[in-house]
Amino acid sequence: MGETGKEEYKIQSFDSETQKLLKTALKDPSNVDLEKVANIIVDQSLKDSVFSKEAGRICYTIIQAESKQVGQSIFRRSLLNRLQQEYKEREELRTRSLQAWICYVTFICNIFDYLRVNNMPMMALVNPVYDCLFRLAQPDSLQKEEEVDCLVLQLHRIGEQLEKMNSQRMDELFSLLRDGFLLQEGLSSLSQLLLLEIIEFRAADWKMTDAAQKYYYSEVTD
Amino acid sequence: MSFRQRSPHGSTRSSPQHPPRWAQARKRGADGKRRRQDEPESSAFEENKPGPEDSRLDSFTTPEGPGPRSRCLDWGTAVEEDEMRTNVHKEIARHRRKLLINEFSRERKSSSGSSDSKESTVTVELETDEVVLMRRQKQINYGKNTIAYDRYIKEVPRCHRIPGVHPRTPNKFKKYSRRSWDQQIKLWKVALHSWDPPTEGGCDLQEICPVDLGEMETESVGSNSTESQTSCQDNDDTCSGTPTKVRHVDYQAEGEFDLEVCLSEPLKEFDTVS
Repeated sequence: MGETGKEEYKIQSFDSETQKLLKTALKDPSNVDLEKVANIIVDQSLKDSVFSKEAGRICYTIIQAESKQVGQSIFRRSLLNRLQQEYKEREELRTRSLQAWICYVTFICNIFDYLRVNNMPMMALVNPVYDCLFRLAQPDSLQKEEEVDCLVLQLHRIGEQLEKMNSQRMDELFSLLRDGFLLQEGLSSLSQLLLLEIIEFRAADWKMTDAAQKYYYSEVTD
Repeated sequence: MSFRQRSPHGSTRSSPQHPPRWAQARKRGADGKRRRQDEPESSAFEENKPGPEDSRLDSFTTPEGPGPRSRCLDWGTAVEEDEMRTNVHKEIARHRRKLLINEFSRERKSSSGSSDSKESTVTVELETDEVVLMRRQKQINYGKNTIAYDRYIKEVPRCHRIPGVHPRTPNKFKKYSRRSWDQQIKLWKVALHSWDPPTEGGCDLQEICPVDLGEMETESVGSNSTESQTSCQDNDDTCSGTPTKVRHVDYQAEGEFDLEVCLSEPLKEFDTVS
């Protein structure tokens, strides 16, 4: 795997020894401690926001490689259980480090997006993902631009799928977002803009309309 | 992999049902923790008070979902079961297609004047209970996830298999009693042991032992291999081999027919089978 591989999986931020380990995991998973690899990936995704956005991809590839080579799913199992552990302690995580919390949400949504089971999203992740998004829609989180930004980004990426899995919770979430937009004190104008945009986006069936494109994005400088 | 794996951390979601009377005599509560002796009335929903975020009853049931999920709290296991479930459904569809196509082509043949007095294809009842199918699939997976099976399928392609000589995976879609099915699995796994990798210093086992797989009495042998095999699977995730049996010493010393040893010899030249 040359530079393109590194680019593709965004593993430049790892030290060279870890990069080697990851590359081996991708090519020859049975010869690697996959539980260790899973932990390395989760640890990094909590620190590196670029990695957390795209880590789903490398995870997907390792899972496929392991399945093909030995017909097992040790990596997936370790990954999911570690994710579950962090999920259980997410409130403490958020208190400890807002950045790490945001990275976690980004990562779990990326995993939900990428890892499928027989072409279906993982049922087990649906409610946990919703829980995370609901947390981001709480008043204290809405006051932080980075959290609003994270919330909106995830909804853009996986909102449609998530709604298919459970539309009732999506309705509830957007109730919160509308309330937040209208009533929340201490909301920055950027946050207001982000919320308005996502409300419109969903109303347009998760699609970008020309009007919205023009209004929200045409002024963006390159 | 246990179907009811308990998470050491989490609390279970309680269900708003009255606890069954037998629950009071149980050693463990629904969360897997041992119950104290002085908790006679303890039931699932008393032991585990859901926290504010856990107010949902069953995390994994969604309105649009295909149905209730087992209350397994471990994401790794939950996803694996999901995968098995969807695989099973895919296979049911495929199996039904196969049967239909067979029926279809047979009808075609008979209409062109086949003289065979084949019985008409009665629609046989298939096993469709998801729980049963998943259990059976797990048992099959244990057997297939072995070095012996790998070697077997490499050595004998499916088209070259001889019925009665080469082991055949039991068909999970056919209706069988539990006992019958479990016995078929046992016999199948025992038969697969013929393809265990050779032990160090083992004799060159070229002798063929013709065995009628349908009629062998393998109760004790079967349970040994099954147990050791499943314990091998359960204890060590990376273990994919079946334990090889000690073979040639007793066989040669006693000079009598030893079924266990016989079964562990690979069937190499099947054309010498009488």
